[in-house]
Amino acid sequence: MIESVVITFVQAVVILAVSPFIVGLIRKVKARLQCRQGPGWLQPYYDLVKLFRKDVVASTHTSWIFTASPYIIFASTLAAVLLVPIFLSTVPLNFAGDVITVVYLLALGTFFLILAGLDAGSAFGGMGSSREAIVASLTEPAMILSIFAVGLTAGSTNLSTIVHKTALLQGIVTDPPPHLMALAALFIVTLAETGRVPVDNPATHLELTMIHEAMILEYSGRYLALVEWASAMKLLLFLTLISNIFAPWGIATEPEPVWMIFGVAVWLVKVSGLAVLIGVIESMFAKLRLFRVTDFLGLAFILSLLAIIFFYILRG
Amino acid sequence: MVDINEAVRSIQATFGTKIRSADRVREIPVVTAAKQDIPAIASHIHRASDLRGTLSLQWAVDLRPRQAAYRLYYLFTLGRGTWLILMTELSGEDRLFPSITPRIHAAKWYEREIRDMFGLIAEGHPDLRRLVRHEHWPKGTHPLKKDFSWNHLMGRQDGEYHFRQIEGEGVFEVPVGPIHAGIIEPGHFRFSVAGEPIMQLEVRHFWKHRGVEKLFENLMWSEGVALAERVSGDTSFGHSLCYCQAVEALIGVEVPSRAEYLRTFFLELERLHNHIGDVGAICNDAAYALALAHCGRMKERIMQINDSLTGSRFLRGVNVVGGTSVDLSLDGVTMIEHTLKEIQEDFSDLARILFHNASLTDRLETTGVLKERTARDHGVMGVVGRASSIDRDVRRDHPFAAYGHLTFKVPIYRYGDVRARLRVRIDEVHETIGLILQALENLPAGPISTAMSSAPRPGDWALSAVEGWRGEILYFVMAGEEGKVHRCKVRDPSFVIWPAIQFAVLGNIIPDFPLINKSFNLSYAGTDL
Repeated sequence: MIESVVITFVQAVVILAVSPFIVGLIRKVKARLQCRQGPGWLQPYYDLVKLFRKDVVASTHTSWIFTASPYIIFASTLAAVLLVPIFLSTVPLNFAGDVITVVYLLALGTFFLILAGLDAGSAFGGMGSSREAIVASLTEPAMILSIFAVGLTAGSTNLSTIVHKTALLQGIVTDPPPHLMALAALFIVTLAETGRVPVDNPATHLELTMIHEAMILEYSGRYLALVEWASAMKLLLFLTLISNIFAPWGIATEPEPVWMIFGVAVWLVKVSGLAVLIGVIESMFAKLRLFRVTDFLGLAFILSLLAIIFFYILRG
Repeated sequence: MVDINEAVRSIQATFGTKIRSADRVREIPVVTAAKQDIPAIASHIHRASDLRGTLSLQWAVDLRPRQAAYRLYYLFTLGRGTWLILMTELSGEDRLFPSITPRIHAAKWYEREIRDMFGLIAEGHPDLRRLVRHEHWPKGTHPLKKDFSWNHLMGRQDGEYHFRQIEGEGVFEVPVGPIHAGIIEPGHFRFSVAGEPIMQLEVRHFWKHRGVEKLFENLMWSEGVALAERVSGDTSFGHSLCYCQAVEALIGVEVPSRAEYLRTFFLELERLHNHIGDVGAICNDAAYALALAHCGRMKERIMQINDSLTGSRFLRGVNVVGGTSVDLSLDGVTMIEHTLKEIQEDFSDLARILFHNASLTDRLETTGVLKERTARDHGVMGVVGRASSIDRDVRRDHPFAAYGHLTFKVPIYRYGDVRARLRVRIDEVHETIGLILQALENLPAGPISTAMSSAPRPGDWALSAVEGWRGEILYFVMAGEEGKVHRCKVRDPSFVIWPAIQFAVLGNIIPDFPLINKSFNLSYAGTDL
């Protein structure tokens, strides 16, 4: 019992601590690819500290939704993260919910973010919210289906079971094609859900082109810090999903401290690798036209659907 | 080319005695007529198949104290570069003149500006809302009238500007600016959208009127250079050169040929760093930050050259009336040639990467198309015009400085989309480097400035044009008493092109607007005189 509490606590601390680093890593990779030095590694942490110290300015037109949303977004993202195996294949909280819970905890955060964007009544927030609603409604089915495709091989929708069985190569059917298709689909979903190029541009100052940033334009101080931190965690959550669902090897399968420390190290290497990949993609591609984003996300959906169909075909 | 004598004869033949006189002022034919005949004559110049004049500038002059009258000038460019001025006078208490906007669309903003600055009302103008004078300016405030002192403290009144509105289910208005998230100048854009597609855009600028034209009237003609440099910061050299040329024509100073070459050299340097910067900025607005970083690096190198040669990154203080204040040393020339060749290679590499990037091309193609017809109707020229088949370039059509002795191509593209505007800039970067190398190679020896001798006669005027990096800059300078400037009309190309952007965005979606706007990259300060 105490062990479970400790492990859950450690998992939360690890995620909270590492997520700003991943954001900084992507920025650093982009800067280096542009022959720039880029800000220091600690900049995202400094930014959070700075924002937490600042006063909050809220428009007088806002309601309780504006005030409550940052906490809901932060809490729901953190709760979702605790259901995902990071360094231990079976998370102590795995009884609390499966992948569907994770998806809808994230959707809860997105829902309140959309409401918060609308709440202040500014034109940009409204545009951001309407665009986010399109993106979210298209990514959600693709995300569920792509994880289901892997879940089918493990015979469960519980993330811990999927990861555990895959890590031990135990009682699972491994066929590369469905896995690869599901991987591609989940990667596209990751880019869309976390507001990266080619779907959204996190570095832009152009209000009219924003999706995620437009919704949080009205936020300041600790509210902004919470929202930023939550989106950093969400990014890390997706990278963790990709690495641990498709290549969990190296993760601790027993709650042994030594293996768990090793698991953290391996996980760090994997998510950093994915972050570098995102940085490279952001440097290589321009942003899609807004109306092409739907095609791009449709591709993710088709890929994950094909993964499931292939699973049945290949098993005969 | 249009034969100007032929053109004037044809106008005289068509209108007979309605043409009061047809003179020449410094080679430019000036046709004078009564105000009620202006619309017919202007329309003839605009439409007649042998003339096809584009209205390039329309401005007014308050002739007081010498004469209680206002004079209105209409500058037409026939064919590529032949000028013709139409002129009329409003005497005494007459404040009305017939509008030519119903026949010549390009006059739309000019006539609103004249109304705001002089209180002269264009009768029959379809849109007489205030343009420069925002609604909080008190009634009867017309800064360019001679009885309005430059240091007059304005009061404040309430008023409301009425935007054109589209109403209907699902149609929303999106106001953007004048304060933006990035560090850019103030401008307000009012979109009417149905979902994401733009149904209408109304540009409302002129938030920071600085009284530039009024300030010119307080200066001696020799002192105006510093002010001209500050009309639009990124075109400091283009504006100061245009002002200097006008004044030099006015006092009859011959600029030494070394100075002509140096001016060409500096003007091209200004074009070079701005075009390279724009290429990066356009790509960055499509979230392709790689280009921004590299273009930023190259632009910085050129600006450091500017700084090391002249002591100013923006080439301020280089132009003086009668020549330049800065000379080039032999070491300087070698250094520049070396650096520019490196930059050209560097830039060619980057351009290749840009053209091979499919995702970028997909964003730029077919986005923000400015149709040739729309461009012509607005009198659009410069980079934006050349991307929409408007084959005009002052350097070729109206050679100034040393351009008559140098060879270069003027790139023309047909599609009028963001990519065409990007390509014009990329091509011009190469032409510009070629021009700079040619100018340095042929740089003649000799003095770099001429002493100013005579003072201009009050009432005399001169017109000058420079192809700045955005397009055609025009200055009209009229001499006043005791060596002062009586009137200085400044026209940055942005003033002409801003209204055209309202048409280029139609049918595009809102998130593409910043990209379209960046591909025009117009000056706010250049219109906020």
